[in-house]
Amino acid sequence: MIRAIVVLVVILLIAIIAAATFGTATVSWRGVLAGDVTARTVMLDIRLPRVLLAALVGAALAAAGVSFQSLLRNSLADPFILGVSGGAACGAAIVTALGLARLPGVVSVVAFVGAIVATAAVIVLARRREYIDPTRLLLSGLVLNALFTAIILIAYALAPESDLTMALRWMMGTLFGATWSDVLVLLGFVIVTFAVLVAIAGDLRMLAFGEDDAKSRGVDVERIKLIGFGAASIVTGAAVAVSGIIGFVGLLVPHLIRLIWRRDFRALLPLSALGGAILLVLADLASRVALPSGELPIGAFTAILGVPFFLSLLRRGR
Amino acid sequence: MIEVRGVSFSYDGAAAVREVNATIGRQQLVALTGPNGSGKSTLLKMLARVLAPASGVIAFEGRDIGAWAPKEYAKRVAYMPQDADPAFPMRAIDVVVSGRAPFLGRFEWESDSDYEAASRALATCDASDLADRYLDEMSGGERKRIFLARVLAAEPKLILLDEPLASLDLLHVQQVSALLREIVTRTEATVVYATHDLNWAAAYCDRMLVMQNGALAFDAPPAELMRPDVVRRLFGFDARVVGGWIVPGV
Repeated sequence: MIRAIVVLVVILLIAIIAAATFGTATVSWRGVLAGDVTARTVMLDIRLPRVLLAALVGAALAAAGVSFQSLLRNSLADPFILGVSGGAACGAAIVTALGLARLPGVVSVVAFVGAIVATAAVIVLARRREYIDPTRLLLSGLVLNALFTAIILIAYALAPESDLTMALRWMMGTLFGATWSDVLVLLGFVIVTFAVLVAIAGDLRMLAFGEDDAKSRGVDVERIKLIGFGAASIVTGAAVAVSGIIGFVGLLVPHLIRLIWRRDFRALLPLSALGGAILLVLADLASRVALPSGELPIGAFTAILGVPFFLSLLRRGR
Repeated sequence: MIEVRGVSFSYDGAAAVREVNATIGRQQLVALTGPNGSGKSTLLKMLARVLAPASGVIAFEGRDIGAWAPKEYAKRVAYMPQDADPAFPMRAIDVVVSGRAPFLGRFEWESDSDYEAASRALATCDASDLADRYLDEMSGGERKRIFLARVLAAEPKLILLDEPLASLDLLHVQQVSALLREIVTRTEATVVYATHDLNWAAAYCDRMLVMQNGALAFDAPPAELMRPDVVRRLFGFDARVVGGWIVPGV
């Protein structure tokens, strides 16, 4: 496991350096060192925070995916299917409809609140007495997603036309305009969530054998479900708030890691977080440099980069 | 070792276990049988602390099982549910060593001694050669042996198995039945297992418990059960006894 982590850390560092080096503006690290003001601004204030934010968003979404999948014993569970991202998008859409989207920070805060509200709603719907039923949880998420989509469509129909481009870009996922304060805030969320998930990783592993089995081995199943679900939702909310909707990472990355590394379940968490970070840094780089000017949606590139890799592994495996 | 006194349980108002009383001692192989829905699984789950009795008391080593710290109880009592297939692909050795979880602290990983316990458990179950294989490439009988090894890895004093013989072919039913007997002999543990198969149970166990509509209807050595009148009363069909085996018909 240590070797696999070291390999992924090295790949991530290379990806971060590459992503900070390349872009539409032609500036160089040499310029930064020489004190060139443009180079410094582009590299240190625009590109570097954006690249680091991409890494953090990728790590957050992949770690959340691992948590959801093991809690629900379902490898299709991810923040999107469960309605967490949908709740965030719904909050953002309502803010846009009200014409408030241009106020700084409002979309992020409301998206975060939307993710938390959606999670709470899904848990309440899936909970009977003291027990959270995994199947009902998935189903509640799917149904709430349909409702969120309806609200989003209505909100955009009512939104001021001038705000629609921005709203659309947010819906497609973008790291445009990332700042150092975004990076620091998300870093805080990622560190805390990661610590919480590592602390319950042993219990999540036991849950893979079913709730009765885990319970008989001394795992406080309902508490672990609440903690795991809560932590994964909060970090998803924080990621979506700064990046918009970037699909696929929470689903794809843990699967990829499982195809490469099947030894111990507990290794899945750090390896997936690193894998998610690498994928998003590369996808963001691709979205920035694919066109000579302008940007393409990053969510499209997570799929374009991830799917062929995933399919080739799937075919090579059993 | 474990004492059940007036224990009842119901799901949403439907009684599943009613007023069961039983005391089970050390180093015994106990078969728990009875028709579908008679309360076998529910009783096992209560013994395993998966469900809490609605009324009555279960005491393990003289102490109410609700008063045991969950992990301390799990070190002594191991339970195998009907379906414990992990949701994700896993190697056999990793499955077996996860049976050591009650002995680990929150951030602790298995040590060499945990892997040694897992290897011993695999050897007891005649499954050492399966250690590095993945569960999803094994036959039903092989998987069953891995899950039995997982239960044994904790070196428990009381082993509760829900339908360990279900969906096995005849050869594996015989092998697993013999293995249960051997576990009792070798590890000095008590094994309580739910099963539908009267004959195989009678051939190997020390004692049979038969449940009927949630109540304990019969509790005696197998020889006393293997009689046409008892079978008629408990299971509702006419039977003869041929060479110690129950066969249908008069």
